[in-house]
Amino acid sequence: MGAGRPFSSSDRNTGFMSTASSSFIDRRTVVDWLGVAPFMIFALMFLIVPTFYLVVGAFFTPEGTFTFKNIADLFTPTILSAYWISIKVSFASSLGGAIIGFALAWAIVLGGLPSWIRSGLLTFSGVASNFAGVPLAFAFIATLGRTGLVTVFMRDWFGVNLYSTGFNLLSFVGLTLTYMFFQIPLMVLILTPALDGLKKEWREASEILGASTWQYWRMVAMPILWPSLLGTSLLLFANAFGAIATAYALTGSSLNIVPILLYAQIRGDVLHNPNLGYALALGMIVITGASNVLYIWLRMRAERWQK
Amino acid sequence: MSFLVLDGIKKSFGPTQVVKDFHMAIEKGEFVSFLGPSGCGKTTVLRMIAGFENPSDGTIFINGRNQSGLKTSQRNIGMVFQAYALFPNMSVFDNVAFGLKVAGMSKPDIDARVKEMLRLIGLEHLSDRYPYQMSGGQQQRVALARALAPKPQVLLLDEPLSALDAKIRVSLREEIRQIQMKLGITTVFVTHDQEEALSISDRIVVMNAGRADQIGTPSEIYNRPATRFVASFVGTLNIIDAIVADPAANTIRIGDNIITLREPIGAFVQGDTVSIALRPEAGSLSESATGDTALTGTVVSTHFLGSVVRTKVTVGGNQISFDMFNAPDKVLPQPGETVTLRFAASDLLVVKE
Amino acid sequence: MKMTKFFAWLAIAIGVIYFFVPLIGTFEFSLRMRRGEYSFDAYDSVFSDAAFRATFGFSMLMALLTIIFGMLLIVPTAYWVRLRVPQMRPVMEFITLMPLVIPAIVIVFGYLRLYNSSSYIPFTGSTFGTNVLLVMSYITLSLPYMYRSVDTAMRTIDVRTLTEAAEILGAKWPTILFRCIFPNVMSGVLSGAFITFAIVMGEFTMAALLNRPAFGPYLQLVGANKAYEPSALAVIAFAITWLSMGLLQLVSRFSKMAPSRA
Repeated sequence: MGAGRPFSSSDRNTGFMSTASSSFIDRRTVVDWLGVAPFMIFALMFLIVPTFYLVVGAFFTPEGTFTFKNIADLFTPTILSAYWISIKVSFASSLGGAIIGFALAWAIVLGGLPSWIRSGLLTFSGVASNFAGVPLAFAFIATLGRTGLVTVFMRDWFGVNLYSTGFNLLSFVGLTLTYMFFQIPLMVLILTPALDGLKKEWREASEILGASTWQYWRMVAMPILWPSLLGTSLLLFANAFGAIATAYALTGSSLNIVPILLYAQIRGDVLHNPNLGYALALGMIVITGASNVLYIWLRMRAERWQK
Repeated sequence: MSFLVLDGIKKSFGPTQVVKDFHMAIEKGEFVSFLGPSGCGKTTVLRMIAGFENPSDGTIFINGRNQSGLKTSQRNIGMVFQAYALFPNMSVFDNVAFGLKVAGMSKPDIDARVKEMLRLIGLEHLSDRYPYQMSGGQQQRVALARALAPKPQVLLLDEPLSALDAKIRVSLREEIRQIQMKLGITTVFVTHDQEEALSISDRIVVMNAGRADQIGTPSEIYNRPATRFVASFVGTLNIIDAIVADPAANTIRIGDNIITLREPIGAFVQGDTVSIALRPEAGSLSESATGDTALTGTVVSTHFLGSVVRTKVTVGGNQISFDMFNAPDKVLPQPGETVTLRFAASDLLVVKE
Repeated sequence: MKMTKFFAWLAIAIGVIYFFVPLIGTFEFSLRMRRGEYSFDAYDSVFSDAAFRATFGFSMLMALLTIIFGMLLIVPTAYWVRLRVPQMRPVMEFITLMPLVIPAIVIVFGYLRLYNSSSYIPFTGSTFGTNVLLVMSYITLSLPYMYRSVDTAMRTIDVRTLTEAAEILGAKWPTILFRCIFPNVMSGVLSGAFITFAIVMGEFTMAALLNRPAFGPYLQLVGANKAYEPSALAVIAFAITWLSMGLLQLVSRFSKMAPSRA
């Protein structure tokens, strides 16, 4: 590099550059973009283009003509039920995760508990939110499966046969329960800072103005918190919707959620139309994309108030 | 009985005693400042009046009523916090209306009262703004309006100006005082800034390590400090170590100067060291100055501070600061010069403990 | 206030039960292999399984390659963006957010259609190519975490000022990068590395669909065929995750001592 001073774009703002030739300035700009080129190439090749390929492919037939038929075919009973089950499981696990996660976050921030509980729970949540996939399924089979610890415990100690009540781990309820193992910690991790942000003075100001605890929560705390709460729930929803490993290990192909359907399609073209697979993927992207966009928008709203 | 009475208040947090045997009687409509350094317990006393803390011992009476059994929300007190504490999810209007809404007032009454309060602080045009859209000074005024809207019997302010710029601090403290006098509301104002306390209070309580060192009017506090702490905390003060010359004649010796004090020295013997306080603005170096007492010493340094010129002089082992008003044609004393400071003997104060 | 504490303890109790019972259950189940008594037979079986060692080793290698090549890609890019093209920051944020939005299965589906043996860039045409594709997919998956931790570290130490100071003292850019910047963002690099490690070790979707002998698919296979080994493996997997996170905490605690607050 000519000048021997490779970096610092602040150069451009000083008088230094005003005497240089225009080609020198252009060369510096080109060099800038060259620097981010490797990353951009990577992102294009391994993230953007593959996704785009699927999205575009959803609108074409295998022969290559433009069509909406693939999208329309999504609305067949099998696929619709797959989406519906996916939505149900994601919704249920994110709702459960939100409620219990909120209760735990509240407990460690505002519950007046010793501080080691807070750091313990946060550390554990950091680990548990990453403990998903196949091992998680194993853990729950070992606990609530037909010969699982809890099942056996309830039978031997309480005489209750869990499975005769209709409960089955390999089901919608079982999957939801299993998903919550990483949903709850995620909620705790994100909500704890939000609850920290509830200034003590707001509570005191509200008290001294005559409000009861219930009025404070209804009129001040909840309105401040709900963007974070809802936003994180949406994040949880998207998280659950895209997950496959746990479901596959737990229920095999018996529970027909969208990722499993897509997996079967990729493996063996069960839908007899590769482009329908693209449409399936497109549907997933739309749902997870919309959830994340909403989450980001809600988070921006929440942060605007925390000044 | 006085309107707000603090009787034998003590507060400990675990083994630490933060407030030690505090007594105070505040009249209705009075503006009292609690003044002291960080950690002296002034905020703790304020919070006990509010009900956020309970006294370990002693009682608080407001309008004759014992506050011990009352929760914060039942005391009908207004409070302004250092960090403004406006509810971020509500507009200015809703913030001010909060206390009224909670009390169950009707909508038209709330409307009228909020508008009245906004007019009082001069921010009616900002009624629909949100806190994050306003400056610190504006937010604090809204906080004041919010506190006053439910017509509280006592107003508490916890270092309300500390988070603001210097200029705003001065104008806002005067505005607070104006509003307080207009409404005639009993007010307790906590601050660590002595200029604030001196300029707007009816009375000041100077607190030191949990105790009230002195309670008095601004003039009393400044001109007749009761303890060394009060003297050094409020304004700049020279503390001179003088030797007692003759206790019967009330004379002391500073360096080579023998001075007769106007007030009795107290129980000292000849040769004892006694601390004497002298305000920097008390004397003058000019030849034509009036004053029955004089100290001669050597100039160490002169500092030009703008409107004031501060000269440091050594007299018998003590370093004394003198302030003089600046005048364009004044000749400033040079280091090494011998100067004579003239002042009235009544300006010298014997400092207790 | 009493009621508050009671409910808080209740919430914690429920949380503890929900989280610890499965973990205890898994461990207990893994000890049940030998009839009638507790033993570590399941673990013996796992460790002596050649496939375990092979796939574990394979995944570890993949994790290492992911971290190395990922960091080689990300650290200079993050540095460059901070210093020279700050207007690219929103683009970077968006790109690094995408792997969190687009499910892994969709991404690997895209790879299979785009890079199969009949396309212009036939990654999947050879074993080596497929492995490369796998590493690329892992880098993509861990992009959000690696980029964020490195970027945060750079923001904390204010790379711009550091670079300008080094320049004024006469350093050329390789010196600046390797002797000034890299050591100081090491904590960010390590944080990202540990999370990446945990992710790659447990990853199933990419490896399964690309047919590579990784740890994830191995786990799933064992789960389908064996009774007690899966829980032993789950315990091992959980221990690995704990280890990674523990090292992460250690690193971040050390890094708190390094840069001073402005």
